[in-house]
Amino acid sequence: MRIGFPRAVHYYDYFPFWAGFFRSLNLELVTSPLTNRSIMESGLKKASDETCLPIKILAGHIQALKGVDALFLPRMVSTEEQTYLCPKLLGLPESILAAVPQGLPVLTVNFNRRLGNRRLLAELERFGASLGKKRAEVRQAFGQGGEWQERFERSRLQGLSFTQSMAEFDPVLRSSRRKAEAGPQNQFPARVRGPKPSAGEVPGDRVDGELTDREGSGREVDDREVIGREGSGPDVMSREAAGRTPGCSPEEKKEPPLKIALIGHSYLTQETYANLNLLGRLQSQARVRLVEEVETSRIAQGLQGQRKDLFWSHARKILGAGSFFSRGDEVDGIIYLSCFGCGTDSITQDLLARVARKEHKPYMVLTLDEHSGEAGLVTRLEAFLDMTERRVRRESDISAHG
Amino acid sequence: MKVTFPHMGNAWIVIQALFEALDVEVVVPPPSGKGTLNLGTKLAPESACLPLKINLGNYIEAAAKGADTIVITGGSGPCRFGFYGESERQILADAGYDFEVVILEPPGGSLWGLARRIRYLAGSRNSWARIVRAVRFAYEKSVVLDQVEDLIHQARPRFSDAAGAEKLYAIARQHLIESASYESLHRVPVRLAQNIRDSQGDANGSGGKEPLRIGIVGEIYTILEPFASLDVEQQLGALGAEVDRSIYLSGWVGQHIFRGLAQGYRPLRVYSRLAKPYLEHMVGGHGLETVGAAVSFARRGFDGILQLLPLGCMPEIVAAGILPRIQADFSIPIMTLTLDEHTGRAGLQTRLEAFVDLLERRKSGRLKRGSVLSVAGK
Repeated sequence: MRIGFPRAVHYYDYFPFWAGFFRSLNLELVTSPLTNRSIMESGLKKASDETCLPIKILAGHIQALKGVDALFLPRMVSTEEQTYLCPKLLGLPESILAAVPQGLPVLTVNFNRRLGNRRLLAELERFGASLGKKRAEVRQAFGQGGEWQERFERSRLQGLSFTQSMAEFDPVLRSSRRKAEAGPQNQFPARVRGPKPSAGEVPGDRVDGELTDREGSGREVDDREVIGREGSGPDVMSREAAGRTPGCSPEEKKEPPLKIALIGHSYLTQETYANLNLLGRLQSQARVRLVEEVETSRIAQGLQGQRKDLFWSHARKILGAGSFFSRGDEVDGIIYLSCFGCGTDSITQDLLARVARKEHKPYMVLTLDEHSGEAGLVTRLEAFLDMTERRVRRESDISAHG
Repeated sequence: MKVTFPHMGNAWIVIQALFEALDVEVVVPPPSGKGTLNLGTKLAPESACLPLKINLGNYIEAAAKGADTIVITGGSGPCRFGFYGESERQILADAGYDFEVVILEPPGGSLWGLARRIRYLAGSRNSWARIVRAVRFAYEKSVVLDQVEDLIHQARPRFSDAAGAEKLYAIARQHLIESASYESLHRVPVRLAQNIRDSQGDANGSGGKEPLRIGIVGEIYTILEPFASLDVEQQLGALGAEVDRSIYLSGWVGQHIFRGLAQGYRPLRVYSRLAKPYLEHMVGGHGLETVGAAVSFARRGFDGILQLLPLGCMPEIVAAGILPRIQADFSIPIMTLTLDEHTGRAGLQTRLEAFVDLLERRKSGRLKRGSVLSVAGK
C-alpha cells in the first residue's frame, strides 16, 4: 500500500515522525514533489478562497500526489500537553475534502498529546488496527516515529539546514540533493521566478554518512522544477540573484556579515517556492538564524514577561524565539515572515513587535500571499538590510521601526 | 475601581445587573458604532479579527467615562478570543491607557486563581453567598433576554411595519433592565408576547402566509452583536423572514463560563453529535457548533441557512469549508457572509435580498426543490 503525504504544512514539522511510524509498520509513505507553479495554481483553484496560503498550497500538493492508494492527512491537535495547533489544522481532514480527488481514500488519525501519551497511543492503535496492524506493531512504530522526530529536531537545533536534516527521512529531498551536487540543474520557470537561478548546495555538507536505504522504495520524481534551496553559507548564493549590488556587501568590506533572524512558521520559511526563496536570498547576505534552532529553555526565557502563555505551539515557539533574539545581541535584526489570513500570526506578530520595539531591535513583517511579487519583496528586504547594516556600523541611530 | 467590559449585543444588560448587584461601580461603554470601530481599528493589528477591533473601541470610549478596569472572559484556545485579554492589555498600555485587565478564567487551570480574581473584582464586602446569588440572577436574566430576542425574531416578519416590532423590542429590553426580582423578570416575555398579539390584532402583517425561516449560524460575536452584522436579523425580518440562531447568550454563558453546568436557553451540547458526520473534532471557537447547527436547521426544515463570520476567523473558515457538503446533502441553500470593518450596508442588503428572493422562489415551487443554487461558494 502506497500512502501519500503532501509536502505542505505538517510536512515541515512532523514528517519524520510519520515517516518513522509508517516505515516501522512496513507501509510505504511517499511525498509529493517540491512545490512548483502548477502545484500552486491547482491549489489556488481547489482550496477555499478565504483560507490561508499554506492550506492552499496543501490543496495543490494533494492534487500532485500520483500513484498512491490513499492520502494521509493526520489531525494534529497538539504536540505538547499545554498547547494546540491552529484551528484550521484541527479541522484539516474535513475542511480540505473538497480538494481531494474523487475516489482517493483519506486516512486520518487524531494526534493529541493533551490527552496524555496513553490515550494518544490508544488512538494510534485504533488507527493501526484499521490498517491491519497489531497493537505491538503500532507501539513499536510510535517509538520509532518519536525517535526519528527527535533526531530531526536535534539536527535542526545543531544548526544543520532543513534540507540537510530532512533528507535523511525524505527520499525526494535526498535525490534532489544528489542532483544538486552533480551540478546546477535548476530550471527556473522563465519570468516567474527571478532573473537568475541560485546554486543548490555545495558538496561537503552532505550527511550521506548517516543515510541508510530505509526509504529506498521512494520514487524518483523527474518533472520537477527545483527552485534554489537554502544554501549553507553566505558565499553560496549569487549576489545578483538576491538583487543586491556588489560593493556594499559585508564581505567585500571585510566586515562580519549581518546576523538576521527569520521568524515564522517553518511551512513558510522553508517553502522556497511560495516565499520566493527568501531564506536563500537572506543567506547570501547575512548569517540567518531560525526558530527551529532555538532551544526550549531559551524559548521559555524569551516568553518571560508575557502575563499569559500563548496556547498555540507554533506561535509560542515563534514568540519565544523572537523575544529571545530581540533581547540578546545574537542577531542584528528580525524578519517575521507571515502570510495573509494567518490567524495566529495576527496576534503573535503584534506581540513580538512590542517586544522588539522595547529592545530597539530592527523588526520587519513580510506578509506573503499568492500574489506576492519578487520586486516588492526584494525592495523591502534590501531596505531593511541596509537600515540594519547602517545601524550596526553606527553610522547613525536609525529608528528600528517605521 | 470602575469596571468596564466589551459589548456583545445585549449582554451588557446582564453584566451591568451582575456588577450592580454586587455594588461594584460599572461603566457601560456607549453602544458600539462607527466611531467605536474607527478607534479600535487604529490601535489593533491590521489582520486581527473584527471583534478585537470593536472591543478596543469600547474600552477607549469607556475610559472617557472614567473606567479603569476591564473584565473579559478568557480561554485556552485554540480560538484567538482566548488571548484577547492579554493582547488588548498590551495594546492599550502601549497606547497610553492605564487599564487593569481582569481575565475571568482559571489561570493555568487553577480555580483558586479564578476565585482570587473574582474576589478582587467583588471587593471584600461581598460574601461568597451573595456573589453566587448575584451570578444566578444574572444568568436567569440572560435566559429571559434570549426568550425576548427569540420572540422578536418571530414577530418581525409578521408585523406590517418594521418599526412596530422594534418599538416593542425596546420596551421589553427596558423592562428587562428594570426587573430586579425573579418574578418581574419572568413577566417580561409574557408581557412582550401579549404586546405582540395586541398590536398585530387581526391585521396579519404577512397576509396569512407563513414567513420564510432562515437559520443563522457562525461566530458568536457577529451573531449576537447587531453592529458587527449590520443588523442582519433586523434586515431579514424586514424582508419577511423569521430567523433563528445557533447560539444565544445564555447557552454560551452556560457552556463557556459555567463549563456546562447550566445549559441556557439554547443548549450547545447537541451540536457536536449532529456535526459528527461532517466534523469529528472541535476546532475552537464555535466551528463545530456552526456545522452541527446547520445540520439541525436543515433537519428542522428551515428554508435557508446564513453563516456569519468576521474576516479571517479560523474556526469559521473550517466550518465554511464543510457547509457546502451539508448544502448538497440536505439540499438547503447556505450563504456565507464575511464581515469586517469595510463591509458596507448596501452590499450586504443586496446579497440578503438576493438570498431571500432565491429562498422564496424555491418555497413557492417556482424553483424545483433539489436544485440548489450554489451560494456557499466552493
